Amino acid sequence: MIELSQIRKAFNQGKHNEYWALSGIDLAIPENKVTALRGPSGSGKTTLLTILGCLARPTEGRVRFKGEDISGLPERFLTDIRRRSFGFIFQQFNLIRGLSAVENIILPAYPAGQPRKDLLLKAEALLADVALGHRRDAKVEWLSGGEQQRVAICRALINDPEILIADEPTANLDTKLSKEFLGILEKLADKGRTIVLTSHDPMVVDSDVVNFVVTLRDGRIVDEK
Amino acid sequence: MIFQPAIIALLLAGGISLFMLLAASPFAVQVIRHWDIASGSERQLKLERLTYLFATLVAFVCLVQILAALLFVFNADKMSVMFVGAMCAVGALNVNAFGFPALYAQLGLFFLATLWLAINHVDTRARDYPLVRLKYGLLLAAIPLFALSLALQLSYFLGLKADVITSCCGSMFSEQAETLASEVSALEARPAMVVFYATLAVAILLSAWHWLGRGHISGYLTGVASLAGFVAGIAGILAFVSLYLYEHPNHHCPFCILKPEYDYQGYWLYLPLFVGAAAGMGAGVLRLFSRRPSLTAVIDATSRALAGVAVVGFGLFVAVASFMIWHSNLILLD
Repeated sequence: MIELSQIRKAFNQGKHNEYWALSGIDLAIPENKVTALRGPSGSGKTTLLTILGCLARPTEGRVRFKGEDISGLPERFLTDIRRRSFGFIFQQFNLIRGLSAVENIILPAYPAGQPRKDLLLKAEALLADVALGHRRDAKVEWLSGGEQQRVAICRALINDPEILIADEPTANLDTKLSKEFLGILEKLADKGRTIVLTSHDPMVVDSDVVNFVVTLRDGRIVDEK
Repeated sequence: MIFQPAIIALLLAGGISLFMLLAASPFAVQVIRHWDIASGSERQLKLERLTYLFATLVAFVCLVQILAALLFVFNADKMSVMFVGAMCAVGALNVNAFGFPALYAQLGLFFLATLWLAINHVDTRARDYPLVRLKYGLLLAAIPLFALSLALQLSYFLGLKADVITSCCGSMFSEQAETLASEVSALEARPAMVVFYATLAVAILLSAWHWLGRGHISGYLTGVASLAGFVAGIAGILAFVSLYLYEHPNHHCPFCILKPEYDYQGYWLYLPLFVGAAAGMGAGVLRLFSRRPSLTAVIDATSRALAGVAVVGFGLFVAVASFMIWHSNLILLD
């Protein structure tokens, strides 16, 4: 579904503190599977995830998405692809305080121009799927960590993306909530959703839900299984 | 200098536009030298992000100049009451040697601005921004014209003296004067009408063909026909439309029709003519770039839409001119 070839990504290019976060990554993300990227801090997991999720462009190398070369696409067009095809779950959830759960969920769908009424119905259905229907109008800052993450998952799914990208999704959760998250992940995987996540957490990486594990070190892939 | 809100607005518009273009010029040079859409280097990403900002600024400058062209003409007419001998904008523009050059430069900026906006429109819709170098090259090339226009307007407005006795349209557009305008004014009404209606009919038909169909040839022809239609339109106003409007067989002035005494009827002629001509010529110019793969679809759609605007503009112009002729009490043709 996503193919990377010879991907390199530099930060502070041309300056004294130039840093290559990725050095020659070749990787194919399979469709309808769960792929986990793991590795120590600074290994390039999140950088790789941002390139896979069209949040950043590689400094060098080619990215193909569904057969189309999107390496040289300006950010404006990457945004269109991202909005249409990707859902994101961030480590800190990045929910907007002051807005209710349902308002946070429908937010990414506004630019697509769907009617608010339809979006609310869709958001309510998503909340019901993660057993959070009763917290629909609660401000997100009143929700627990697990509830916030479920709201973040619903928000990632509101545009019905083909690919779900999750950066350290269990980093802020305890064991019980991490298990809950894996349960949700399993359901999504069963529905044929392509999922790419980064994680340090052995409970996630070694779980049966994950089909494909990529290990990174110093910006290079050192193992794939 | 005579202080008037419109004069201050025009000078400010010219000054700010030039300042903004000069501010954008180092960026334009960087784009021309370093743009590489295939690269993901930080410099390229920075250029891409900044190009949104600068393109918006330049688009704003272009819109300001389009409005300034209208304001310049309106103001020239409004100032005519201040000068002895001036009956309309011609008198005001003749107060010193810089009036008409300033008008021509402003009209040049009008067409340049519309062209830049059309190029920017298609460029930002193509996935590889294929015209970005051309767009910023055009920006650099336009700076001298913006500077010239501002210098001419400054010279004109600073040189306005209320005690100057000026000559007005009667002398400039009389059939006896030795100017291009007077030669056009002296055209016989019947052949002038034939040329006027034939040229504009061709412009409308070709624009409609391009609008409803597709293809390079019809696009190029629309561009050329629109230029011809614009010239024929101006010539027609000078040669006979103005006569019908004034109901006077010898008054050819293309500016008096803008006056309140004539209910500002000139604006009903000039606005659609200028819009139609700019759109039609834009449709033709854009076709030059349509062979680039990423631009083919977007130029096809934009060029056809512009041709549609040209059809409406020229059509409205011909309709208004014909209505004026039909409604007039003057009998020019037997």
